[in-house]
Amino acid sequence: MELSGAQIVIERLCAHGAATVFGYPGGSVLPIYDALYENARRVRHVITAHEQGAAHAADGYARASGKTGVVIATSGPGATNLVTGIANAYLDSVPLVAITGNVAVPLLGKDSFQEVDIAGITQPVVKHNFVVRGVKELEHTLNEAFRIANSGRRGPVLVDIPRDVQADTCEYRGGEPEKTDGGAAPFDVSRAVKAIKGCERPYIYAGGGILASGAQADLRALSERLSAPVGFSMMGLTALPDDYGLNLGMCGMHGTYAASVAQSECDLMLALGVRFSDRATGNIEAYRQGRVIIHVDIDLAEIGKNVSPGIDICGDVKAVLKELLRVLPPMKNAGWLSRVEELKQADRVPVDGGFTPKNIIETVSGFCDEDTIIATDVGQHQMWTMQYYPFGKPRTLLTSGGLGAMGFGLGAAIGGCMANGNRRTVLFTSDGSFGMNLTELATAVSQRLPITVVILNNGVLGMVRQWQTMFYGKRYSQTTLDRRTDFAALARAFGAEGYRAKSLMRLTGILERLPADGPAVIDCRIDMDEKVLPMIPPGGSVKNIMTRG
Amino acid sequence: MGTDRFSIELLVSNHYGVLNRITGLYARRGYNIDSLYVNETENPALSRMLIVSRGDEAIQTQMVRQLSKLYDVQEITLLAKVKR
Ligand SMILES: Cc1ncc(C[n+]2csc(CCOP(=O)(O)OP(=O)(O)O)c2C)c(N)n1
Ligand SMILES: [Mg+2]
Repeated sequence: MELSGAQIVIERLCAHGAATVFGYPGGSVLPIYDALYENARRVRHVITAHEQGAAHAADGYARASGKTGVVIATSGPGATNLVTGIANAYLDSVPLVAITGNVAVPLLGKDSFQEVDIAGITQPVVKHNFVVRGVKELEHTLNEAFRIANSGRRGPVLVDIPRDVQADTCEYRGGEPEKTDGGAAPFDVSRAVKAIKGCERPYIYAGGGILASGAQADLRALSERLSAPVGFSMMGLTALPDDYGLNLGMCGMHGTYAASVAQSECDLMLALGVRFSDRATGNIEAYRQGRVIIHVDIDLAEIGKNVSPGIDICGDVKAVLKELLRVLPPMKNAGWLSRVEELKQADRVPVDGGFTPKNIIETVSGFCDEDTIIATDVGQHQMWTMQYYPFGKPRTLLTSGGLGAMGFGLGAAIGGCMANGNRRTVLFTSDGSFGMNLTELATAVSQRLPITVVILNNGVLGMVRQWQTMFYGKRYSQTTLDRRTDFAALARAFGAEGYRAKSLMRLTGILERLPADGPAVIDCRIDMDEKVLPMIPPGGSVKNIMTRG
Repeated sequence: MGTDRFSIELLVSNHYGVLNRITGLYARRGYNIDSLYVNETENPALSRMLIVSRGDEAIQTQMVRQLSKLYDVQEITLLAKVKR
């Protein structure tokens, strides 16, 4: 069958199950958008307000669904607007295929209108990228793009398609895409098993790899089998329900006291699908000393990169856990378990009735169920969400981990909401981050998405202010926003609902009658000096932990 | 950093931009390239590269593992580690 390049793009999107894509048209993608026009029933295209929003939406869609997200943009500024979104997906290992148009092949390399070398620009933040210089390469290239994005350690792939390649025609073969992740390499757990059998105080550090491989049930089984408490990196946080007894919550800089102390007291740490980010470990020496570390990851380059483990296993974490569960006997150390329980008690925060981040998040959570998708932006409000929201199910948290990109949240909430059958979705944000990409309210309105935007509005760039308070002698350089933005009125101007809340009672009243088919913004004024605690200062260890009061 | 010299031999796709991807990886991780040879092989679809750089064993292992992840890298060998 003879098809144009643009038609081949549509056919391959369908073949790879990309039923919903996000993007923004322009001169260099006109042929693709023309093909989308006649295939609107096969591929739903959502136009956002900004390409960055489209990239974050595709990312949020992928995180929530486990499928590969797709974003399309035109050449030049359209393509450069994707860069933050692509980098964000790269650092959090999210499968994403970004399709950009470019100027026609004869115009490439001539600084033509809206020409940029997007392959060069994105090279450090993609698993791979392609410039398709002839229509005959296109079908194979798109198959490769989806295969790479979705195999091994997942991540973004960019395919740059010059405009003439989209218009040219060639013979299209079609057919089912090949299955990925078949030939997993063999691994050996014997050393790990021996070490685990000999340990007394096991601790599990679990990350995004658990969710990526769908190993939640195996993680829980292993934790129960070994009576090992589990501390999570931010990326792994939703793998076990909040009410599971050995769940210590998040570890690291703003992790729980229990996770930090348990890590420092364990004699064996099982690190599963993690990369020992500096935010998770703090001082590496203190982190390593006095324990055996077993590192399991699918990416060989992660092993020994930040921490050299005593024992390493390169493999899919689910397969490795299954093998460990097959051979390990039940273990129980009553002393360790009671110590863990004691540490968990120390994390309990005294209850008060104020209009505080904790109480706001808990009030909102009362209107959510375990399937509700929660998105965040970046800053204090993000950490408070990690600390106080009772996550119940995997893939219900959309947050920018590795890149820490303010402005991620609303786009991600849009993608997550659409991946989850347009069910209610909540975005916890703050005034700084929301100000970055709030134009995507327009998208949420036109798509009739029931997204509740909760602004923990402290009037400041709170996270930076906190560091200025603690480490820069309260010299608040450029973090007091002193803006007069009326977010509730702004929401209404976008066609969304807008409210302001100053008490928990008022907030509850608003939450009780939210619209079912459109977004609502709730501006919650909070104190600018609320802090995120506990905190281990950068490069510090549990010895330096600052706790409440 | 360590001053051990080490060489990595690579078989890569013979395609524009490939050299860039490889040297970019060294640059990003902060390792200087002391010398670099690139040749087309008998098979014009592939070229062979020899990259000499410096670093201790951990760095050498890390570079090999990072390079192995590149789509265009077909084969990779860590050669002679010469103590200086
Ligand atoms: C795009 C981007 N720019 C700058 C930063 C640095 N930064 C990290 S947190 C933060 C403050 C965020 O303020 P806000 O969104 O109001 O959240 P709050 O801390 O007040 O909850 C800033 C500026 C960032 N993470 N991302
Ligand atoms: Mg703020």
